Order: sequence, then C-alpha cells, then structure tokens
Amino acid sequence: MLPLSLLNTAQGHPMLVELKNGETFNGHLVNCDNWMNLTLREVIQTSPEGNRFWRLPECYIRGNTIKYLRVPDEIIEMVKEDAFRQRQASSGGSRGRGARGNTGRGREGNARGRSGGGGRGGKF
Amino acid sequence: MAELQKFVDLTVEIITSDGRVIVGLLKGFDQTINVILSNCHERVYSENEGVEKMSLGLYIIRGDNIVLIGELDQERDASINLSEIRAAPINDITRR
Repeated sequence: MLPLSLLNTAQGHPMLVELKNGETFNGHLVNCDNWMNLTLREVIQTSPEGNRFWRLPECYIRGNTIKYLRVPDEIIEMVKEDAFRQRQASSGGSRGRGARGNTGRGREGNARGRSGGGGRGGKF
Repeated sequence: MAELQKFVDLTVEIITSDGRVIVGLLKGFDQTINVILSNCHERVYSENEGVEKMSLGLYIIRGDNIVLIGELDQERDASINLSEIRAAPINDITRR
C-alpha cells in the first residue's frame, strides 16, 4: 500500500500533521497532491514547545516540510475498499462499457433513431 | 528499495532524524521511503527511568526524516523487559 493512497483516502477526515520544525497542525484534510502538499480546515496549530496555540480556519502545508502524519486507524481499511472500487471502475470500466455497449448501443440506436427521425422530420 | 518490500507486514523499528524510536507494523512505502506504520508506538528511552511506550496509532512518516528501518525480532523483543532498560535517548540531528 502506498503512503499517498492512504493520504488520499484520508481526505475529509481529521489528522495531525507534525512539521520538521516541530509545529503541529490538527485539522480536517481537505485536499492533498502527489507531493504531499495539503490543505487543512478548522485547524489548531501548536508551537514546537507545545505551549502556544492558534486557530486557523484553513491552511496550506507544503509537503516537504512534513515530518509525519497521524491519521485515524480506520482509514487503512478504507484504502482497500477505495482500491477495490477504483479497480472495478477502471478495469471493469472497459469490460463494463463493452457489456453495456451491446445493450447501450441498442438503446442508443433507438434513441438516435427516434431523435434523429424527429430531427430529420423537423429539418426537411 | 525492493529490500524494504521484505519488511512489509512485519514489525519494524524506525529511527527518525529527530531521534525518536517508533515501532509498528510496516504497511507500505514508496520511492521516497515515505512509510505507513500501523498500530505503532514510540519508545522513549531515558537514563534514569525505564522505557516509556507511547501509543501512536496509524502514522505516515515522511522519508526525509527516516534514518533507519529495521525488522524487529518479536520473540526477542518480547523477552526484553523494557521497564528495566536504561539508555540515553538518541540525539536530534535536525537542530544544533
């Protein structure tokens, strides 16, 4: 399992981010990218000494400043479900399209016939 | 790189550049040695007290900060009474 897929799955969930300088950010993950850049919402920032706190409505964290991320335990199971769903959507997608293609083409044909007919009727 | 693959789903000990020792189940890693550790805990060493275990849960550790990843012999580890261990903590190499 890839760390960044875990992070992707954690979108919308609370997490704790510690930066290399020791500052921590507690908030909900809104977005992340392949460089581990993050946006968090409803954030509590803590100083490296742990004695000062700030509330931020939203913040952006550059990936390369991160030391570690603490994510809720249940996310790891959700990654497997996500991967399964994605596999179904992509590999099943071509198969699905093919399978649907037959029935779909029939329907599409009908639809085209009807709308086409109507169109033609309108045009000519 | 492929060397790390051998450790997946095994208990590993990770030492980070800030001198922390983190033990957990290696669930995955990538090209930059970012690592997923599940069910992990930190072991805080001290010269005048036993080792303190701090439960951490599920962690993604960024590769930049990782100094060492080693497989933990669980049988051997279980035979060690950590509360009797006295050891100086590892230095933080990120600050001077």
